Amino acid sequence: MELTQLLKPLAGTPQTTTALVVLLLPLLAFMVLFSFGKRLPRRGDWLAIGISAITFALSVYLFTQTWNTATYHTRTVWFSLPSIIVSDFTAGILLDNLTVLMLVIVTFISTLVQLFSVGYMHGDTGYHRYFAYLGLFTFSMLGIVLVDNLLLLFIFWELVGLSSYLLIGFWFERPAVVAANKKAFLVNRVGDIGLLLGLFALYTYFRTFDLEALRTLIGSGEWLNNNFIVTYSLNGEPWLLELSPLLLTLAGLGLFMGCVGKSAQFPLQIWLPDAMQGPTPVSSLIHAATMVAAGVYLLARCYAFFTPDALTIIAIVGAITALLGALAALNQFDIKAVLAFSTISQLGYMVMGMGTGAYDASLFHLTTHAFFKAALFLNAGIIIHAMHRGLHHAHLENIDPQDIRNMGGLRKTMPFTFYSYLLATAALAGIPLTSGFLSKDAILSVSWAWAQTMSANGNLVYFIVPITGFVVVVLTAYYMTRHMWFMFFGNFRAPFNVTQIRFSAKLETERVMLVPVIVLALLSLGIFFSLNPLSFSGSWVVNGIGLENFSFGLLADNLMQAITIQDNGNHLVHIVIGVASALLAAVGIAIALIKYNRKTSEQLAGEQLNSTFARLSYNHFYLDTFFNTSFVKPVLWTATTLYRVDKRIIDYTLNYGSKWLVVLSKMVSWFDRLVVDGSVWLVGALSKVFGMLGRNLQNGKVQSYYAYSLFGFILVILYIVLF
Amino acid sequence: MDFILSSLIFSPLLAALVLLLMPARLQKPAKVVALLGALVQMVLAIVLYFRFDGTAAANGQQGYQFVEKLNWIGFSLGSLGRFQIEYFVGVDGISISMVLLTGIIGVIGVISSWTIKKNVKGYFLLYLLLLTSVMGCFLALDFFLFYLFFEFMLLPMYFLIGIWGGPKREYAAIKFFIYTLVGSLFILIVMIGLYTSVIDPLATAAQLGMLQTSGINPDTILQVQQSLQQNVIEGADLVRTFSIPAMMDPANFIPGSLLHVFSGTVLWDLPIRFIAFLLLFAGFAIKVPSVPVHTWLPDAHVEAPTPISVLLAAILLKVGGYGLIRIVYPIFPDAGAYFAVLVGGLGVLSIIYGALCALAMNDLKKLIAYSSVSHMGFVLLGLASLTSEGVNGAIYMMFSHGIISAMLFLVVGVIYDRAHDRMILNFRGLAKRMPAYTTFVVIAFFASLGLPGFSGFIAELLVLVGGFSSPDITGLLPRWLTIVAVFGLLLAAAYYLWALQRMFFGKYWIFPELREKATMSDLNRREYLMLVPLAILAFLFGIFPHLLLDKIGMTAQGFTELVLRSGQEQLNMVLSTIIK
Repeated sequence: MELTQLLKPLAGTPQTTTALVVLLLPLLAFMVLFSFGKRLPRRGDWLAIGISAITFALSVYLFTQTWNTATYHTRTVWFSLPSIIVSDFTAGILLDNLTVLMLVIVTFISTLVQLFSVGYMHGDTGYHRYFAYLGLFTFSMLGIVLVDNLLLLFIFWELVGLSSYLLIGFWFERPAVVAANKKAFLVNRVGDIGLLLGLFALYTYFRTFDLEALRTLIGSGEWLNNNFIVTYSLNGEPWLLELSPLLLTLAGLGLFMGCVGKSAQFPLQIWLPDAMQGPTPVSSLIHAATMVAAGVYLLARCYAFFTPDALTIIAIVGAITALLGALAALNQFDIKAVLAFSTISQLGYMVMGMGTGAYDASLFHLTTHAFFKAALFLNAGIIIHAMHRGLHHAHLENIDPQDIRNMGGLRKTMPFTFYSYLLATAALAGIPLTSGFLSKDAILSVSWAWAQTMSANGNLVYFIVPITGFVVVVLTAYYMTRHMWFMFFGNFRAPFNVTQIRFSAKLETERVMLVPVIVLALLSLGIFFSLNPLSFSGSWVVNGIGLENFSFGLLADNLMQAITIQDNGNHLVHIVIGVASALLAAVGIAIALIKYNRKTSEQLAGEQLNSTFARLSYNHFYLDTFFNTSFVKPVLWTATTLYRVDKRIIDYTLNYGSKWLVVLSKMVSWFDRLVVDGSVWLVGALSKVFGMLGRNLQNGKVQSYYAYSLFGFILVILYIVLF
Repeated sequence: MDFILSSLIFSPLLAALVLLLMPARLQKPAKVVALLGALVQMVLAIVLYFRFDGTAAANGQQGYQFVEKLNWIGFSLGSLGRFQIEYFVGVDGISISMVLLTGIIGVIGVISSWTIKKNVKGYFLLYLLLLTSVMGCFLALDFFLFYLFFEFMLLPMYFLIGIWGGPKREYAAIKFFIYTLVGSLFILIVMIGLYTSVIDPLATAAQLGMLQTSGINPDTILQVQQSLQQNVIEGADLVRTFSIPAMMDPANFIPGSLLHVFSGTVLWDLPIRFIAFLLLFAGFAIKVPSVPVHTWLPDAHVEAPTPISVLLAAILLKVGGYGLIRIVYPIFPDAGAYFAVLVGGLGVLSIIYGALCALAMNDLKKLIAYSSVSHMGFVLLGLASLTSEGVNGAIYMMFSHGIISAMLFLVVGVIYDRAHDRMILNFRGLAKRMPAYTTFVVIAFFASLGLPGFSGFIAELLVLVGGFSSPDITGLLPRWLTIVAVFGLLLAAAYYLWALQRMFFGKYWIFPELREKATMSDLNRREYLMLVPLAILAFLFGIFPHLLLDKIGMTAQGFTELVLRSGQEQLNMVLSTIIK
């Protein structure tokens, strides 16, 4: 196989050109709004929403063109290095079922969220900046979805990180906000390091980042003597690769690290709760529906590159995340914190699904979760907005508008909000007839089949993963019931009249905020995703994106086939799992109802963390503290120490050395003055002394000359006489 | 033959001569003359960039374009042959990026110097001299000429820091001067050693009278080289040379001379060629600067006035990396292969060490100075890997760092102009008061931390990919080295975002003692004029890397192949003589 053939440029089609327009329109919105938004009428919100609506319409068009009909791919050379062992760096757009599905989800939710923001962000000083940043985010997110190679994907991945940084930090005057956005970016960067290393590993051996080429190359390989053999040629030069399973697993885990960062998986999930400092619509769009799902999307795109070992680790990490997230959500009081931990837990579900071979189910859950979680967050936004309004009217400043202990009884005051919240909660808890039931059921079924396959040799430990899944079903139902109970049932507990939180006598909140919420909540119904709302197997989403649509081989092909066979044989098990998950959800709801139904309004308002477990869960198992003491502080200590090394050792040595040089030069100069110059002086002085002597002799007196010569004569005589 | 390269080198010098004749009280015209000198140089550099043919094969030894070659100093040494120094300049893919960078930053620096009050004429005189010598460095192909420009850079730099600098300027200037001078001495020693060992085959042919009979053809050079290696040329006919391309060909070394591959001379248990490599490397590593010889940099930066910091970071540091690529590696490829881990290891050490020091800084300018140390470490890593990606990335990094570090130092200059202070903890929430300024700070910081879309990302990506694949492609660097280097990206994000958090976000506040003097106004037109073009360039070369890579590529590839191939061959030869 010749790699340059696999990478040859592909001409654009109307579809890919449309996709490019879809990609670039939000960027245009960003640039216009960022530069001139302040001067536009209504500060340009109409422009942002209009552009968003257009991208949504175009996405729907692309969906109809592509879904189950064709894939479109266009590619061009981005830049190249003239070396025969380096292939061109390409850039391109790939439209297939998964792409257009994500395209529609992202543009749809993005449009609704921007519409919602018109009400939510009304009157903010940075109004235009907010919409500009949302444009930047949409651009980057669509980039992740549309591009056809991993390098470009990484580029947009980082840009998504940037827009998340900007949006979390939107109210940058609050210290907590700025700490949160820094933390989000840095924690994500930790994951990105792994992702980069994974990309480097693939590139080192396959000499390209192009997804299709990589899939083709890996699909053409085969296992021989426990090594993965791939042969191809690049510019006519043969490449023979003999890759060990360990190396492939490590490369896969590198890619997975990216997902761990972006999709808030254990142990990097610590950034997501803090990210809730951003405006609530942002949390809805970015930190619930789309960006955090990018990690799962990455796993899907790279599914062919994971070995069974890598997948097992992915499944375990996903299960741990799902469990920890759900446990942490049990005892939160902040309305957004509950939803944030629930997001972590659900993302864990998706990742667990990916690891257990539930590829289509996991993406299905991504889709359904995007809608119901966006609905929940926007609803929470309505409630926070309303609480702010109430507190503002009542001139109360020291009450936390996000604390669910201060709420209660909102069911009657805000009925639309209540029913849409209820619907989305039902989907999250996995109540039959909702979308969440279908997708969760799908993940659980396949992961059960996975555990059966993996434990064929009698090792039952793999069943822990699906059982964790079931436990999380109970926990989810419990914490969401608790959550709703605090907000909507009983009596209003904040010290002002509950009607003050309504927008007006007729309307509970602004229409522009209510409509998106209701639309999203309705989409939590199962009927939109599968005509038989009790079974996921007929779902059009699952059928459109299943593994069976893959035209290339996977590294874990054997495992996937075994799981499929096992799953197809599991007729009875499917029914049992469906019934069990519904029953477990009911159990969770029942426990919560029993526990909180007894409590009086005062008890609810004064609810405290009164057990060690509650404190552990509330503080997210002290993961933050752990990372602070074991990573952040040592790094800062090393930093200051190294700077001291610079000053006290390197510079000190130099300065000390130069001091000794001065001392040496002083000594040399002393030597020069006393010894070298001294001897010269001595010679001079001596000759002067002798000169003086000689001069004194020549005093011009004949008598003296006579005396000297007599003296000399006597000396001569003495010499002769004596010797 | 046109004289574009000479015009590039000497146009600032011409402006300096004009300046010299003007009376010192004409301050505004002095600035204009300096601006014109720099502008002419920039325009010429851009013209050269477009005229340069990036598709032509080149490898450092051959393939130079726009070559100008004149005999400068030449006389007979009797039986030792002929002494010859040439005015020899040329440009290839490695230097073209540096020439373009120097042109651009030269103009930005003049604009940034517009507010200089003290002795304007003297300042711009020295500034223009500096531009001439830097450009000369990047274009010289004769070692002697290179060394001349290299040394001459010190003089204006010393005075620019020592007279126009901050409170501790004398200490910083002397430290800078002595550090670099020590490096130059190492280089001088090797230069003399090379001079005694290398002949110019073509000039020798002329001396032997071979050109009259047969004219110039490729065989002539081969014939001369063969007879040289067989020791049949009389000593008096040898034309010794400082030509760098001649030094790259082992066939031009006189048999039995000190630095010949078969010389067999051993010093401190190392072949003399390795010692020569280490000396040269040390000389240029000081300039790069690489840990542990980097401590002159923070001091020089902190004390230098803003425009000089910009020049220092953006161009002068590049002379070090450029010297490694132009001189050290191709002349001593054997030692380059032998010491790959040392060079790459020092690169990675610089990346991590510099980043950690930056994390500990409270002075914004020092933070950026240390980030320069960190980023220049990538140049060493990419070069040491000797992969196509790594070498391209190293050159790209030098260019990209030139653009981005110029932005960073200008940004620090803005705050220093207003508050006469730049301690991070003395400011908070500047974003509210200076939104446009903060936008550029964010752009500069993110560009520097390697955000995709900016040139720094392409550079870091290429270097890291090259380093990572080195064990499989060239077998020079161990894998863990690059894995450690990748953590530099995390640390870079940490120190920049932390600085942003502390200085620019939060509620507006500045240190009480600064409030009286400080007027925290947003960017003025002159500052926009400097920052906007740099931001655009950082974007442009981040999104369209082929603009530069198409010029660099062929030379970098030829260089890589030459160094790698002759490196292995010569390494075997050198080691074989030692074992005998």
